Amino acid sequence: MFDKKGTIVSVVALLVVFAIFTISTASKAWWIFGGDDSQNDKIEISFWHAMGGHNKEVVDTLVEKFNQQHPNIQVSAQYKGSYRETLNATIAATQQGNPPSVIQSFEIGTRQNVDSGIFIPFQDLTKKGEIDWDDFLEPVLNYYKVNGKLYSMPFNSSNAVLYYNKNLFKKAGLDPENPPTTFAEITEASQKLVASGASKAGITWALHSWFYEQWMANLGQNLVNQENGRAGLADQAYLTSKKSIKIIKWWKQLYDQGLWINPGIEAWAQADQNFLSQRAAMLITSTSGVTGLTKSAKDQGFEVGTAPIPIPADETRNGVVIGGASLWIVKNKDSKIEKAAKDFVKWMSSTENQVYWHKSTGYFPIRKSAVESLKAEGWFRENPNYQTAFDQLIETKNVRPTQGALVGRFMELRTIVEKTVEKIINDETSIEDALNQANQDINKSLKEYNKLIK
Amino acid sequence: MQVKFRSKALPYLLLLPSIIVSLLFLYYPALKTFVLSLYKTAFMGMRKIFVGGSNFIELFTSIEYLQSILISCFFAVGVVVIGLTLSLFIAVLSNQDIRGGRLYCLGFIWPYALSPAIAGVIWLFMFNPTAGIINYLTDLLWGISPDWVSNKHLALLMVIGAAVWKNLGYNIVFYLAALQNIPQEILEAAEMDGANSLQKFFLITFDFLKPTTLFLVIMNLIYSFFDTFGIIDILTKGGPVNATTTMIYKLYIDAFQNYKTGFAAAQSIILFIMVMGLTIAQFKWSDSKIDYGS
Repeated sequence: MFDKKGTIVSVVALLVVFAIFTISTASKAWWIFGGDDSQNDKIEISFWHAMGGHNKEVVDTLVEKFNQQHPNIQVSAQYKGSYRETLNATIAATQQGNPPSVIQSFEIGTRQNVDSGIFIPFQDLTKKGEIDWDDFLEPVLNYYKVNGKLYSMPFNSSNAVLYYNKNLFKKAGLDPENPPTTFAEITEASQKLVASGASKAGITWALHSWFYEQWMANLGQNLVNQENGRAGLADQAYLTSKKSIKIIKWWKQLYDQGLWINPGIEAWAQADQNFLSQRAAMLITSTSGVTGLTKSAKDQGFEVGTAPIPIPADETRNGVVIGGASLWIVKNKDSKIEKAAKDFVKWMSSTENQVYWHKSTGYFPIRKSAVESLKAEGWFRENPNYQTAFDQLIETKNVRPTQGALVGRFMELRTIVEKTVEKIINDETSIEDALNQANQDINKSLKEYNKLIK
Repeated sequence: MQVKFRSKALPYLLLLPSIIVSLLFLYYPALKTFVLSLYKTAFMGMRKIFVGGSNFIELFTSIEYLQSILISCFFAVGVVVIGLTLSLFIAVLSNQDIRGGRLYCLGFIWPYALSPAIAGVIWLFMFNPTAGIINYLTDLLWGISPDWVSNKHLALLMVIGAAVWKNLGYNIVFYLAALQNIPQEILEAAEMDGANSLQKFFLITFDFLKPTTLFLVIMNLIYSFFDTFGIIDILTKGGPVNATTTMIYKLYIDAFQNYKTGFAAAQSIILFIMVMGLTIAQFKWSDSKIDYGS
């Protein structure tokens, strides 16, 4: 079937195919690299973020505006899915030598981002006096400062606040202008709401470790040792502390009495749904939901009020930990790109853009001047529910617990906390046993992490 | 038919592209996984420490992992038993000569064409405790509204149900083909001997379906062990309290949420050994014994 001639012909044919393939890919590459010359000195930087849906449009608008104002820089924004996915994509891209220039990363990734060594501290890129740090809200800056240096620029910030249904409050004979502020008052109000038939349950919030963390901080309890991980690498969690047990006990009591609806782990949307369908008269969730929830509630025919996150009556209020995400600049061999990235991040944090960002998304502006400008416009008079969120933030004491924990494996910690709470409310183990086990698991993981990064 | 190559080099040259592809995309990553399983890692492998077999020791002493093996096995048995019984039943019914029989076939097969994510979302909507159609019906009929998502047993049942439904089409197609290959003469002969339809089914049809069943058992086992990530991720995320965390889902959590790449690599080695075992079993059994020399 195959004679010598045939063999030669087929070999040659194969080689030709290979050659065409190689040439075509190489020439394509040439074309891409060559393209840069024709567009001369425009610096291209990529921005990977985790803002989907409506917020993505806001980001795109801002980026477009930046590009118009900066003819020599071209920012291309890309939505990369969740915070976790954005970070995964960044690490993978860095390993392949083709990293993005700026990424948005959630607050709990801070320790890990610092340790990964792939980011350059934002403060290192700025000259002295280039940025008026005094204009930034203290609680926001405190979170993102590691070893006294600001590593990333806070971008979308929020905290947890109590929302309540004024109409159901009236129905149950509760004062709609005087919302509950302590654990006991929440329980009492919930009992009244259920007993009067106003709603099926009193309150709901997503089974999320974030709320637990907020409570720990508010009660002045560090989440981990080494001054909440701020003085060194933490290797010990404080889940078994008195205050932790106090929080969990109350949570479980609420559930046992049928007063708290469990929407599921990290089920933000389901929690909102329970509140909007008026199955629960109260909801604890992020302040970034103020606009959306107020509007949807109006459609459902009820009025929403907000109040600070409740705490036990016998504890003093320390305030809230800032949640959300910040912008990180990836190290680059080309200092021009790093500088362009810095300009972009700096621009995003300007007063004007912060005002726009807050109005469009509900996330906090991070500058005092932005807050002032909103006040002057009468924004808070029109949107009183934002006032609660701001007061809560501004009244926060600057102590280690409210500065927020720095933990290398924060995501794992969260998963462990959430599973533990689930176990506890399902009566699988006692509160103390479950928290003990969780604490041990976290300690083990933290020690492993510390060993790895040394 | 066998082809004889005159030149020694040519066959190798022709094989070269597929060898390169397999080396690059199969053997190299596999090797890398083996190596990685001996390390503890951070930042998706950017930092690592050699720890020998301690990842494996940790796995087999971790209650959570042993539990995930148990759940995987339960899940697999559920998918195989329920899935195969149901699809055989449907295949037999739709193999009958009735009006619009083909339309029914089509209706039963189409779920297979859906991606796991879409299938997951459909089930998520149906089983939503507050807004789902299933609870609307159970509430209407019996006044109950089971919590499919936060009850351990119900969540596992729901996930098994979704996995079965998703793979129903695949099983039905194979059963239909097998049913249509059964020699009609034998069935007619049995009929003449006075066998009723149940006897015909269990003594003749079922026997003829054995090779297909065996093949489907293996394929469904592989499917339920390795291919159900999407459904679980969308429906339950492995919860409540790990009740639906199968081995493959645990691997994903450790690799992409906890960034323990080495630990996850060790888990994938264990899964690799399992799939190898299943594949060998399939090759062995499909060759021997149950062969009718058709």
